[in-house]
Amino acid sequence: MQIKYTLPILAIVGFLFAAYTVINSNQPVPVAKAVTEPASAPFKAFIAGAGIVEAQSQNIDIGTPLPGIVKTVVVKVGDQVKAGAPLFYLDDRDTRAILAIKLADLAKAKADVNVAKATFSDAKSLSDLAEAVTDRRAISTEELLKRRNVLQITKARLESALALVQQAEASVADTETTLSRLIVRAPIAGEVLQVNIRPGEFAQAGFLNTPLLVLGNLDQLHVRVDIDENDAWRFDKNSKAVAFLRGNRSFKVDLSLAYVEPYVVPKKSLTGDSNERVDTRVLQALYRFDRKQLPIYVGQQMDVFIEAQDYTPDQDLENHLNAKGPSS
Amino acid sequence: MNHIALKMLMGDKGKYLGIVMGLTFASLIMTQQPAIFLGIMSRTYSFISDVGLPDIWVMDPKVQFVDDIKPLQDTELYRVRGISGVEWAMPMYKGLLKARLFDGRFQTCNVVGLDDATLIGGPPVMLEGKIDDLRRSDSVIVDIDGARDKLGKPSPIPGGKPIPLKIGDSLELNDRRAIVVGIAKVTRTFQSQPVIYTTYSRAKSYAPRERKLLSFVLVKAKKGQDLAELTRRIRETTGLAAYTQEEFKTLSFEYFIHNTGIPINFGTSVLLGFIVGAAIAGQTFYNFTLGNLMQFGVLKAMGTSNWTLLRMILLQAVLVGSIGYGLGVGLTALFGFAMRHTILAFKFPWQLLLFSGAGVSLICVFAAVISIVKVIRLEPAIVFKG
Amino acid sequence: MNPAVRCQNVIKVYDTGGQKVTALNGINLDIAAGELMMLVGPSGCGKTTLISVIAGILDQDEGSCEVFGENLLNMRSRDKLNFRAHNIGFVFQAFNLLPSLNAAENVSVPLIINGMKRVEAERKAITVLEHVGLGERWTSLPSQLSGGQQQRVAIARALVHSPRLIVCDEPTSALDHETGRNVMTLLKDVAMHKDRTLVIVTHDARIFDFADRIAEMDDGHIIKVKDSR
Repeated sequence: MQIKYTLPILAIVGFLFAAYTVINSNQPVPVAKAVTEPASAPFKAFIAGAGIVEAQSQNIDIGTPLPGIVKTVVVKVGDQVKAGAPLFYLDDRDTRAILAIKLADLAKAKADVNVAKATFSDAKSLSDLAEAVTDRRAISTEELLKRRNVLQITKARLESALALVQQAEASVADTETTLSRLIVRAPIAGEVLQVNIRPGEFAQAGFLNTPLLVLGNLDQLHVRVDIDENDAWRFDKNSKAVAFLRGNRSFKVDLSLAYVEPYVVPKKSLTGDSNERVDTRVLQALYRFDRKQLPIYVGQQMDVFIEAQDYTPDQDLENHLNAKGPSS
Repeated sequence: MNHIALKMLMGDKGKYLGIVMGLTFASLIMTQQPAIFLGIMSRTYSFISDVGLPDIWVMDPKVQFVDDIKPLQDTELYRVRGISGVEWAMPMYKGLLKARLFDGRFQTCNVVGLDDATLIGGPPVMLEGKIDDLRRSDSVIVDIDGARDKLGKPSPIPGGKPIPLKIGDSLELNDRRAIVVGIAKVTRTFQSQPVIYTTYSRAKSYAPRERKLLSFVLVKAKKGQDLAELTRRIRETTGLAAYTQEEFKTLSFEYFIHNTGIPINFGTSVLLGFIVGAAIAGQTFYNFTLGNLMQFGVLKAMGTSNWTLLRMILLQAVLVGSIGYGLGVGLTALFGFAMRHTILAFKFPWQLLLFSGAGVSLICVFAAVISIVKVIRLEPAIVFKG
Repeated sequence: MNPAVRCQNVIKVYDTGGQKVTALNGINLDIAAGELMMLVGPSGCGKTTLISVIAGILDQDEGSCEVFGENLLNMRSRDKLNFRAHNIGFVFQAFNLLPSLNAAENVSVPLIINGMKRVEAERKAITVLEHVGLGERWTSLPSQLSGGQQQRVAIARALVHSPRLIVCDEPTSALDHETGRNVMTLLKDVAMHKDRTLVIVTHDARIFDFADRIAEMDDGHIIKVKDSR
């Protein structure tokens, strides 16, 4: 008699357990939420690109006209500098020594002029005396010629000495120029972004991988946006653009176009890899934005969206066909 | 008459149990084997389910399944991002890399690189640590199964269980240091390799130098955007393959269906279970009817119609079928419950309940039909042949 | 008054593996209502075939067999079932009780076939069991009863729906002498009244004295009908 109920009850329990397992085990896997919500474009159709923030002036890698040991660096990172303000000094001892020599030369030349002047005035007075004698018999013709010639010679010597003074003065000026070239100055007013040189280090002239000092004007920042060459045709200079700060999409800023670099360049990977690979070419557009709106630093990446015409390939094809339609 | 039918059925306990057990066995095999099969097959796309958040996966058109990585150029990400209807698009790196373990062993791991800023596509459940910890330098998150087993340190006792990897332990991925900052729970994948999560840019530095490293672009559609329309637009604009999450799952699933022997193996055992179950249950049920033929003859002689007898037999078949089915699926569920913490794949969707139900019904109908034919053909005159 | 059963020239041929066996070869027999008719004869003489035809569970090949004026051969199978369910009771040599039903349930089967509710049918079955002297044992399964008791349950089952004809196939063969006679006595006492006809197939000579008439059969013929009243 028990079997009459046991088996059906067991069967019902079994079925219910199976149903429970089905319901329980097929609940969807929890989905990992994004740590920060990604930025999304506020436009219907748009071009997306990675942007990197740079100073309006672009970032100026300061170089030195002369190689040499750095004597002092008078600015530090973050300093605002005026145009022409010194940034760092190179060692100028030897130039100063040369200058001293040149100055001494100048003094000597000047002294030589005095000697020449004195000689000249002596010759002149002797000559004048002789010329003043009206009686030709009182002085021999030979004597007179001699005195005239001495006067000519001393005059020429005086002129030569004067020229030497000029030469020495030019030489001093040259050394002074060299001296001033040993002081590297800010070409524009701006902010010191990077200082890679310290007193005692050797500053090399010419192009360097690591600039000695980076200067930029941060009053207005630019964001340089890479637009894939495949999307370049959709880019419109007059369309709106928005940039989002990476990591927090609530920071966004409207962009206005500064200029477009008309030459399409190989893309440098901006996505943070140390070894930049060229994989495509990109059109670079530069946008202005108000730096006060964002807590942003030069060199930071942003997600940029540029409004563009709506593009669906088949629609495009259709339009194309329609345009062709009547003729065919 | 139903009462009489039930009494007849349960009167002979041995035969009754025999029929029920045959059906239970058939139902068990027809549920448990497909459940394991589905469990294994669901692992072919478990990674896609785990990532969950994106609606659409964009990849190289030649990709055949989720582990078949054919990398893209990094700029494709921005092209996809620029398609209207896209809420966001994020890069993902996925690849097999060799990890050098603490003790010098090498272990192939599935390395997943997530977008640096948003970390979209991260593990669904964090057991220790936070996903945000990936922002620390050299940080990685490993899955618990990998940490316990394949990535664990060898046991001090020979043959013992390995010591699990803990937060703060380090590994070497392609000669670069990686520090474990979190332990995650992920659904097991088909190849059951340890899974290591890190950021996209770090994954690129771990990966061997290649020109292209972007495995997938994960896309979220804007609200109200028709997914089929968007995938079509992505395909036509970029020339890449774009699948919705479901389509990508189906793609991976079907790759394994068509390119491995798994479906045949399991199909065979399901079929065998069906045949053996049908044979046992059908045979016992038929024997039972045969044994009771005289009783049916008596009932027939006393004026019971064929229709009534048919209903009686059907009722008996339905009863034993239901009981066998209930016990079978119950045992399957119990099996799944007992194995829930092991490596065994087990998935029990509601469709499977219907499938085995249909299978058991088929067996019962088959058994009932041969019995019914026998009873309907029965001449009531046999009652006088002692 | 019409006879309860009228058989005219009934012929039944079995075809067993190409070999034709004539079981009934022109049977003519009238059985009156209220009569207890015994069919006797050696094994294979066709007596079981004859009661099968009379009971409507076997169709003859030729001739007619009218039971209470109805020709069963011409009846639709549904009506024939109904006719059997209402008018005919069966008692078998091997009792043929359903082994998993208790006595009352076994007895109630004909009532349930006729569409009576189970509870009501069992209540009526118990009263009939009381008539056959087994009122106390109604919960017993057949296996818990002796042969005689089982046959009494079978008689109760044959009677419970008050059929006009009861056919009995060797009702006493499986029983010992005394039990057999007790069963026959019971059958005659409980079953017989003027509207009920009993046809008993037997070769048990010990019970011939219960018969009103005895028809002797051999080779498909009725040799002679002896009135033993």
